Amino acid sequence: MPDGANFRAEAAPLPGFSVTRRIAGMSRFSPTAAIGLTIILIFGILALGSNIFMPYDPVSSFPERVLQAPNADHWFGTDGNGMDVFSRVIYGARYGFGIAIPAVIISLLIGVPVGLWTGYRGGIGDEVVMRFFDGLRVFPSIILALAVVAATGQSLINVIIVLGVLDSPVFARVVRSEVLALRSSVFVESAVAAGNPTWRIMFVHLLPNAIQGAMAQTAVRAAWAVRISATLAFLGVGIQAPTPEWGAMIRQGAEFMVSGQWWVALFPGLALIMLVLGLNMLGDGLQDFLNPRRRSVK
Amino acid sequence: MTFGRFFLRRMLMVIPLMLGIVFATFMLVRIGGLDPVGLLAGPTATAAEFDLIRGELGLDKSLFEQFFIYLGNLLQGDFGESWLSNRPVLDDMLDRVMISLELLLWGVGIGTLIGIPIGLRAAFRPDGSFDHISRFFSLLGFSIPTYWLGLVMLFVFFYLLGWAPPGVGRIGLIMSPPPTVTGSYFFDALIAGEWEVARSAASHLVLPVICMAIVSSAPIIKHTRAITLEVLSNDTVRYAKASGLPKDVVKRIVLRNSTVPILTFVGTEITGLVGTMSLIEFVFAWGGLGEYGLAAIVRGDFAAVQGYVLFLALFSVIVFLIIDFVVYLIEPRAELT
Amino acid sequence: MLEWNYMKRGALAAAALGSTLMAGPALAATLVVASPNTPEGFDGDALRPHTQNAVVQTYEGLTKYGRMMKDGREVLDPSKALPHLAESWKVSEDGKTYVLTLRQGVKSPYGNELTADDVEWSWNKSFDQKRTGNFIATVSNVEAVKAVGKYDVEFTLNAPSSIFLKALTLYVPGIYDSTEVKKHVTAEDPWGLKWMENNTAGFGAYHLETLKPGDQAVFIANPNYFGPKPYFDRVIYKQIPSGASRVTLLKTGQVQWIDRPAIQQVLDMQKDPSVKIEKATGRSSAAARMNPKCKPFDDVRVRQAVNYAIDAELINKAVFGGTATLAKSVVPPIVDGYDTSAFTYDYNPEKAKALLAEAGYPDGFEMDILYSDLWWHQEPVAIQIADQLNKLGLKIKPVKLIGSEMRSRGSPKVMDMCFFTFEDGPIVLDPVYTMYLIAHTKGVSNRGAYSNLKVDALIDAGRQELDADKKNEMMKEAQKLWIEDAPWAMTVYSATFEAMNPKISGWVHYPDEHERWADLTMK
Repeated sequence: MPDGANFRAEAAPLPGFSVTRRIAGMSRFSPTAAIGLTIILIFGILALGSNIFMPYDPVSSFPERVLQAPNADHWFGTDGNGMDVFSRVIYGARYGFGIAIPAVIISLLIGVPVGLWTGYRGGIGDEVVMRFFDGLRVFPSIILALAVVAATGQSLINVIIVLGVLDSPVFARVVRSEVLALRSSVFVESAVAAGNPTWRIMFVHLLPNAIQGAMAQTAVRAAWAVRISATLAFLGVGIQAPTPEWGAMIRQGAEFMVSGQWWVALFPGLALIMLVLGLNMLGDGLQDFLNPRRRSVK
Repeated sequence: MTFGRFFLRRMLMVIPLMLGIVFATFMLVRIGGLDPVGLLAGPTATAAEFDLIRGELGLDKSLFEQFFIYLGNLLQGDFGESWLSNRPVLDDMLDRVMISLELLLWGVGIGTLIGIPIGLRAAFRPDGSFDHISRFFSLLGFSIPTYWLGLVMLFVFFYLLGWAPPGVGRIGLIMSPPPTVTGSYFFDALIAGEWEVARSAASHLVLPVICMAIVSSAPIIKHTRAITLEVLSNDTVRYAKASGLPKDVVKRIVLRNSTVPILTFVGTEITGLVGTMSLIEFVFAWGGLGEYGLAAIVRGDFAAVQGYVLFLALFSVIVFLIIDFVVYLIEPRAELT
Repeated sequence: MLEWNYMKRGALAAAALGSTLMAGPALAATLVVASPNTPEGFDGDALRPHTQNAVVQTYEGLTKYGRMMKDGREVLDPSKALPHLAESWKVSEDGKTYVLTLRQGVKSPYGNELTADDVEWSWNKSFDQKRTGNFIATVSNVEAVKAVGKYDVEFTLNAPSSIFLKALTLYVPGIYDSTEVKKHVTAEDPWGLKWMENNTAGFGAYHLETLKPGDQAVFIANPNYFGPKPYFDRVIYKQIPSGASRVTLLKTGQVQWIDRPAIQQVLDMQKDPSVKIEKATGRSSAAARMNPKCKPFDDVRVRQAVNYAIDAELINKAVFGGTATLAKSVVPPIVDGYDTSAFTYDYNPEKAKALLAEAGYPDGFEMDILYSDLWWHQEPVAIQIADQLNKLGLKIKPVKLIGSEMRSRGSPKVMDMCFFTFEDGPIVLDPVYTMYLIAHTKGVSNRGAYSNLKVDALIDAGRQELDADKKNEMMKEAQKLWIEDAPWAMTVYSATFEAMNPKISGWVHYPDEHERWADLTMK
């Protein structure tokens, strides 16, 4: 299979490689990614402009309007505390992005350097780190996240940090395998021969070329972070009522689902699916586009 | 390499992994701020009682000593005692293993039966309309929160339509469980010839199993498709096609080559789905290991949390080992990679 | 090998459970109760979730309350304590020595007869544990308990007590079949507490047959019970974690009784002919507690401001669907000595703002209000209170704790929660008991570190006052001080609702909010 090698040979000498340009081009090739991106943008606008779109304060109660079905005043009805579900669903987008973006950034900040280092240096350090990552795989990620958040204290910050740390091996692996392939390429070897220090080779020469694989993963990992953080909140760990977070809202509505007040849990669930689906669609397209191996099989 | 040597090598590799897992579960409940003593002692406990419990739990010793005591206890089969149930954690878990396994196997089994054919069909006609639709459904499966799906299904099939039983437990509440043979109420009832009980057990299985199957089929579709596409583009298949072999023969070659990676993937998938299973158990009050573990985590039952996490890790290790052995038996040279 | 043994044991236990269920009598005599939890223990001195629900069925008091008809239904008469396990008693002239004569022929399910030694052993157990039973002993001035004959037992009090005979109605200190318990004691565990985690040994109407934690507990009627034979000879106490599922099971007739439904469900079930709802005015106040040790609650004006700022009527509407009663007295309406004259905190946001400004917080302050899932209303009450206070410019954030963590942090040794919702009410229908429980520095339901020595002195005097009017007068005085100090925002007494199969009758409301299965029949 020569395609992979070709791709690298062509990408490596291009110092001005631009991720953004490729993403712009992507929508032409991948309608999936374009739809995903559109969904994400809509939610992004809702999150940034939530104050404009929300008819009511999302955590303010109307004590006399508890559990009203959807109506003209409350499009998505009210919850068990008399709060407006529509406003809360919109505000929930802020928690979606507010958790996913920093969590993925933390994962990148940990995973990318670890991947660079282990891939470039190899040896015993690489072996130990990789075995450790393998070991982590025996724990189902949701259970591990749940147990760690429950043990370390229930706050939003904790949820973000725990998700970020737990997901960093994904990026480390991707970067490591790219680096392994690049290590013996001409431009790296010439950089070494020119007497560049290790850090310079890692961050100046390897990083720009190895990062694309990691970037291809970001959307899918963001989807994971949104999903898992909502799951934690659904179980009552991490984020608590009456915070307008989708998972916490589904938890509140769960009790009412089998007694007929479906709107409390349905709408936040739909919003959650939409955003996660959008991120996954974008991720799917991105992976196809940026990952040479997958593109080649298409 | 003989199977004996292969087996031995794998088992030796498991030992450091197990030590690491035990250490991780040990640290898991100790990194947090919750004090197990306060929870155990309960209200109206005196300072002396606090110290007594602290001593009983060995929490007055150094972390290093505590770890070796914990390890020693584990080796003797002592996983500690749950303060929610006042029973040994191991007993609690063994009582529930089969309950969870039943749900897991039904769910993943059906998920696989749906997922593999869809993935294969999509791969044989890439970029066709079937491929696009299946790909969308696979993405949707990745994006739906399991617990929400369970709730919506309960709302529709129980509350609105009345087709399904309420999401509580594994058989009708006033029914007596059949004598235990396999641990699955459905099969046990069939064995005992209690048709009513078997019917009830089956009706309770339907919704949670569908949930489980939907969620587990998504990654199976995706990976079956990817694996098959890769096999399709390898030299053997290209050559077979080029030499004008009939389509069916080519298909058979493709299937034979993709069986091992697909099976490996499904096996790995089972371990990852334990988390999903726990959530489904939670929504349907299934009473299995998953629900037990979630309750322990949410309510701070430390010994049970440790036991549960350790149990899951053990389960993964065992599944990985089984996959290794099966792959070795099918295709001994795979071990070399 | 080892694992195999465990498996075998598990399988045998499951098989045994299955066969007992099948061998059981006709369904008509089985009561299935759906509850969020199976009991986490059966020691009345160490109350854990759902311990109380079970021990009130298995342990009965030396005395019992009388009963009377009210609004066409049988209710307890809090003014009378009648003979029960004790047949009669004599009081010394100074009121400090009681000799109780036990009823003869009372037997536990194990076949052992109740003797004075059982009573002595049981009270010593409570003294030694220094928990709930010891608190009951302290509040009723009991110092020592001694068997003075096969059926005669002597209680020595350190002062006359107005509460003593009523305290004996309780399940704690429980009267144990000490002959049976002693078979299960060890050197480290002289009271058999370990055994009691999964077993009962009382003289009550029921006893625990099997327990499968997290699944169900099965109780059967005590075949040797001295009282009338209960209608239900088997009670299955089934764990159903979801409240909505419990309601569904009741509606579909799969269970006959559910444990304390949430108000939204009550309102829903009231429309449903397949469910019967009974109501009693509650005795528990769903209050928010303010710890005077925390800033800014160390300033009484801030605590008063919070009281003025909370619109209890609105909470009643939003959380309790208007079914609760506004709370204006520490002593609830069900108790003799209920008195609202000292209450001053009618909703008045202007006054609240003025008091806050006076205390130096014109712009409010930040604070977490803690809640847990011990009671369904803790969360919505916390949310409503936070919402109301925030609308006045404060910054209050509801934060959830694990139930057991909240219990332990409210225990007398810790009491480090600053602002939290909780539910407390007296299990002895007496004003002094109520005040001692809630307002005394040593009260086990104080939970928020409130302490006022003047209040303590009045309560301590009240414990020895045998004249009911004088006693009530003292409590009125103590209550006035307590309300001025404003350690609680009392909000409402939540009504007690029981939801049951329409064929069930005979329910009598007890101050511990637990039905007695022996009261129930099904036509």
